[in-house]
Amino acid sequence: MKTFLIRRAYASFITFVAVVTIVFLLARVTGDPLAELENDPRISPATVAALRAAFGLDRPLHEQYFAYMVNLFRGDLGYSLHYKAPVAEVIMQRFPYTLALLIPSITLSNYLAYVVGVELGWRRGSRVDSVFMSVSMFVRSTPYFWLAIIFLYTFSVVLRVTPLFGAVSPGRRFEWSLDWFLDYLWHYALPFTVLTFRGFLAELIYVRNVVVDVLGEDFVMTARAKGLPDRYVKSRYVARNAMIPIVTVLGMRYAFIIDGAIQTETVFSYPGTGRLVYEAIYNRDFWLLQGAVVILTLSVIVVNFVIDMLYAYLDPRVRYR
Amino acid sequence: MRSVRLHDWRHRLREFWTVFSRDRTAVVGLAILLAIVFVAVFADFIAPYNPYERVGRPYERPSWRHLLGTNDIGQDILSELVYGARASLFIGFLAAATATLIGTVVGVVSGYYGGVVDEVLMRLVDIWLSIPSLLFAIFLAAVILRTGRLPMFSALILSIALTSWPPVARLTRAATLSIKERPYIESAVALGASPTRVMFRHILPNIAPIVLVEVVVRTGLAMLTEATLSFLGLGDPTVKSWGIILNFAMVKNAPILGLWWWFLPPGIMIALTVMSVMMVGRGLEVYFNPRLRRY
Repeated sequence: MKTFLIRRAYASFITFVAVVTIVFLLARVTGDPLAELENDPRISPATVAALRAAFGLDRPLHEQYFAYMVNLFRGDLGYSLHYKAPVAEVIMQRFPYTLALLIPSITLSNYLAYVVGVELGWRRGSRVDSVFMSVSMFVRSTPYFWLAIIFLYTFSVVLRVTPLFGAVSPGRRFEWSLDWFLDYLWHYALPFTVLTFRGFLAELIYVRNVVVDVLGEDFVMTARAKGLPDRYVKSRYVARNAMIPIVTVLGMRYAFIIDGAIQTETVFSYPGTGRLVYEAIYNRDFWLLQGAVVILTLSVIVVNFVIDMLYAYLDPRVRYR
Repeated sequence: MRSVRLHDWRHRLREFWTVFSRDRTAVVGLAILLAIVFVAVFADFIAPYNPYERVGRPYERPSWRHLLGTNDIGQDILSELVYGARASLFIGFLAAATATLIGTVVGVVSGYYGGVVDEVLMRLVDIWLSIPSLLFAIFLAAVILRTGRLPMFSALILSIALTSWPPVARLTRAATLSIKERPYIESAVALGASPTRVMFRHILPNIAPIVLVEVVVRTGLAMLTEATLSFLGLGDPTVKSWGIILNFAMVKNAPILGLWWWFLPPGIMIALTVMSVMMVGRGLEVYFNPRLRRY
């Protein structure tokens, strides 16, 4: 287990370095990060030159790459020109909001999908099964952001039961109080529902298909031939064996839900890292966008690492491969 | 000789239809898709107005004059929607075809050569997939736009294509691996065929069905990505796709103002198109892979 852990940690680290290198190359080779400032008449050429020297942009590419890597591992992601603050600081301020959205959502949607998916797979071909399959297929064909707009329109505009935007009421500052928390929950409800609903339906089909596959295995037939009650076969033989493929795709689900968070947070103006990505595009704050890509991808790599560990724990065969 | 070929072609088509039409979902999907393609092709005759012209007062509700009302500057939304079919399908197909091309070349080369080449290319695929794909597409679009060398339209297509090829590479690589072992490949090599010739004359035709299904399914996925990128402000505002219409609607706060006729129809059209493409894709898959057939 320990060597497996070290090997996976090393592979994750290499992946991160590779991703960061790709990001660096794409960002640096294609353009001058200070080009926007250069065209801005309010900023003198001397200031731009000073900034250029400060960021090391006048040095050759390999030196820039080295400096970039060193800065990165010291937690320096550059400077946000829009927020006039270090990128790492801006992102870290928003990141807890995104995590508060993603982790409960991914947990709940996977749990629900597992419970319902086993049932659907068990009753494959039934009316319930085909209704769920059709609904899921339609919803998954809608753009994520559009689904969020529909929820916003239905609950906040037509029914007026949820707020229109934000994570708390306008002007409200964070405090440790029940009142603040309730206000937050009220704002949280819709983005959370959209992400969970969508995640649930995507995972549901997958779980169902895995269960159908497991049902075709010989051991299921043996269990049945032995005369075990259906309930027992379902919970001990089918549901349990369906778990491993489900854990395998959890990492992918996490990467996908980040894409969902970018859209959902944008529609609901929820101040997380996803919304920050939109703001970075809108304000042409290139370094902020680059920082968000690095941080969010890092979180994907970390989550994948944790899932690999979980996987090895669930399925001993993995550890010895 | 020619007539024999023609006969063969007709025969194949009939065989295809026999299998394909057995799947009711796939047939429904094909019907919807053909209808949308029809609208896209004949947009000039179907659309009641020019979608780029002001033909009414702003924010008109749906009426007989404007079946889906008008937008903030008095353009007819139904006409926008009809022309949007053309833009969305075109962008989706172009991006999907490019992605499939890149993916297929990488997959076939990787599977055929094996060894270090395979190792390096597949590692690249893994790394590519570890970046959330929409986030990556956003970043690529921003990077390409910043260079100012490509128009927004090409930037959009390129950023979608460059982020969606890895799954195609995985798929075609696996197919190449199994075909590579067949005796006729060995005889081609023994006869002195170059690797390029073996890959593109002997292997590629055999994985063509997979590639075709991928182009179809990817078109749907690319349309979703296009809509999202356009919505986030990275699309080409001069080409009115369904995503661009939604972007304008959101910027003008259509949902909060309750202008449902503006933001509801484009989303429904996207969903219908993507769903029909998926249905057709599944039908094709069943046709090409007899093991999936149920009798």
